Amino acid sequence: MLYRIFLGVLLVLCAGEAAQAQDYVPVISGAVGFLSTTSGGTHVNEPIIVPVLSAPIGDHILIEARGGFEEFFVQPNGTGPTSRQFFGGLDYAQVDVIVNSWLTLVGGKFITPFGIYNERLLPIWIHNLQNAPIIFTIGTRNSSESLGGMARGVFTPAKDLQVNYTAYYSTTNQSANWGAARTAGGRVGFFLPEQRFEVGVSYQRYLQDTHMNSFGAYLSWQPYSAPLDFKGEFAHSLNGYGYWAEAAYRLSRFRGPDSLVGRLQPVVRVQQFVRKQFTFEDALPGANTQEADLGVDYYLPHEIRFNADYGRQFSSQGNENIWDVGITYRFMLPLWPGGHR
Amino acid sequence: MRMVRIKVLSLCALAAFLYCVAQVHGQSAQSAAPAQPMSSEQTTQSGKPGSSAAASKQASASQGEKRFEAQCGRCHVPPEDLSPREARAVLRQMRVRAMISAEDERLILKYIAP
Repeated sequence: MLYRIFLGVLLVLCAGEAAQAQDYVPVISGAVGFLSTTSGGTHVNEPIIVPVLSAPIGDHILIEARGGFEEFFVQPNGTGPTSRQFFGGLDYAQVDVIVNSWLTLVGGKFITPFGIYNERLLPIWIHNLQNAPIIFTIGTRNSSESLGGMARGVFTPAKDLQVNYTAYYSTTNQSANWGAARTAGGRVGFFLPEQRFEVGVSYQRYLQDTHMNSFGAYLSWQPYSAPLDFKGEFAHSLNGYGYWAEAAYRLSRFRGPDSLVGRLQPVVRVQQFVRKQFTFEDALPGANTQEADLGVDYYLPHEIRFNADYGRQFSSQGNENIWDVGITYRFMLPLWPGGHR
Repeated sequence: MRMVRIKVLSLCALAAFLYCVAQVHGQSAQSAAPAQPMSSEQTTQSGKPGSSAAASKQASASQGEKRFEAQCGRCHVPPEDLSPREARAVLRQMRVRAMISAEDERLILKYIAP
């Protein structure tokens, strides 16, 4: 144990010294937040902290990790005693070897690159609506992380076209912090930077228990001509399929993005899931489900964001209202003295 | 067991000492380094020292802003008050996570931490 502590201290010191030499400083970024949800009469309050480590070593190696520490205060029927439960763990912890733009090799625990929500939109300071889409677990079943290796990169075959890709293999693991399923898959995306338009497809082969394929397609568009943010995904698996489509419009044209009204961003999302065969393991709704969500984000100064949304879920198992309120603060700290401006 | 602890603590102290020495050495080497001489290109063009370099820097920053809007602006606004050393670490991570090319990384860095 003591040797491990010593090695850890030595590693941190070496990383710090390397950072000094390379003119960068490892940083801890991320967000703290307080989220509150009422769904089907059950209240859940959730203080949460999500730290993200980024520690480059030289020009080609990067160590990165993200943790999630949250406490759930649950009041089952809106009245009565409140139970509490703490969850803490690593979302990912990986070593990246950046060969060039075309190829980065990743080893460790990484976010499963299926669609765009899991890898790009899941952090609490990024997504426009608090609750994840109902098809979220297609392609990210069991856990949204994988344990193994991945290759990824970006090509620029033409001036106005970028092609990005990922290909990965994950092994199975049952431990608490490193839990993952045996899967293989990948994603290909086509991005037009002049239009800020991207489409892509994902594939995953589930290689344990009942082997199955999952397919996905996504679209993301943020036109320069308007402060509109449009995103959508479709996903299909053996157990069901569905889609979500979301549009957000920042009112920044009303006296600029820093005005009282310009900080406001209304959001609307529609989604649907069709159940083909039932299983308890996939964490998808038990029956055909539709949902409509309406919300607002308010961007306060100093990286603080307030959001509130309402959703109505329609299902043969029972309709329900979902209310969310939350506030997040995005932070960034250098791990080494002298790193901050 | 006690001896093991003493050894480990000694090694930690030694590592910390070496680190401090390296830090002091690095700072003194930086302060002793001569100032970068101005290049001939910077002094000759348009008769104003550094004007072409400034124009080039401005063009890079403008390109960087464009690339930032195209790549990073799809998900978030520019972070507040980043030092160049922090920006390098964050951009390195975003290069992997958001599939940014090496050229975009270089230009965006000039924009967010000039």
